[in-house]
Amino acid sequence: MAKVHEITVWARGVIMDKEGRDVINIFAEAAKMEGKHVQAFDNYEDLPDRVLVTVRKYVRLSDEEIEHKYVYGNDQPEVVVVIEATIVKGIDVLLGMKKGGTLIINTNRSIDSMLKFIPNANLLATIATVDADGITGVRTIDFSGSEGGVDTSGIGKGIAAPIVGAMAKVTGMIKKENLAKVVSDVSGMERGYKEVKIKKLG
Amino acid sequence: MAKELPGYGTINVPKERQVPFGAVTKAPVCTQQLFITSNWRVVRPVKDDEKCTRCLICYMSCPDACWIFKEEEDVMEWVSDFCKGCQICINECPSDALTAVPELDFPDGVVRLDKPF
Ligand code: SF4
Ligand code: SF4
Repeated sequence: MAKVHEITVWARGVIMDKEGRDVINIFAEAAKMEGKHVQAFDNYEDLPDRVLVTVRKYVRLSDEEIEHKYVYGNDQPEVVVVIEATIVKGIDVLLGMKKGGTLIINTNRSIDSMLKFIPNANLLATIATVDADGITGVRTIDFSGSEGGVDTSGIGKGIAAPIVGAMAKVTGMIKKENLAKVVSDVSGMERGYKEVKIKKLG
Repeated sequence: MAKELPGYGTINVPKERQVPFGAVTKAPVCTQQLFITSNWRVVRPVKDDEKCTRCLICYMSCPDACWIFKEEEDVMEWVSDFCKGCQICINECPSDALTAVPELDFPDGVVRLDKPF
């Protein structure tokens, strides 16, 4: 089996649940256009309908068919995306990551100030920040797409757009052009791609 | 224990099968370490002791009992481990003594967990 790339997205219940879900769906959809085999799934064990609770969303990409089905979590994420920056203070978001991973945070704070909250930052090869709230300022709150429902409000209208733009630039796993076919807010996505700040760690 | 219950006759529950109402659970003395919610916070309430009148409205309105009145010192104490940053106390305080401050402005005060509970 070819290597499966695991991407874990951290969001907060209710206030950012939909945006987090959009990030995984957009990312997987764009990767699919590039011929990748993909899986994107919402949290299974967290509590997304409690306000502010940390929740996870997952993407898997591979060049071949992904064989591990019925496993609802990424044990070894190589990319971790944090949609609400305070989460890094209260949880070990890098749990399971092998050395050389990537962390992307939605914040307007400096990379160095964020690193102070990450005791195991030695696992990271790359850390990046994008001010998605500064770019779009929109957080869609909508439950229509959770628990197996059909998402009626469109994907990538809010902070998810600049975040996926930043993910494309930092990870190089997907092309910006394909993202543009999926997100509603294309200019927000382009700004995320352009304005993401990246720091390589030793 | 044999007991006469109107409409049911006499019921007999062997001693070893008897539990008090609500079953047996340990009463929380002060805190429940298995339910730490400090990492739910994006902001925390910060108190201005000059403005605080000790009216105890924050104590009454906090859903998680995170405000304690320290009688001897005549001061309200905030319980950081369990405050989830819902901001109800900030909205309810009649004296404007509480302000929401981003949690990332403080170096500590949040219990770091391995994974969400
Ligand atoms: S509600 Fe405000 S004034 Fe009243 S005790 Fe709490 S902090 Fe003090
Ligand atoms: S913010 Fe909410 S949980 Fe925290 S002390 Fe105030 S009322 Fe209680």
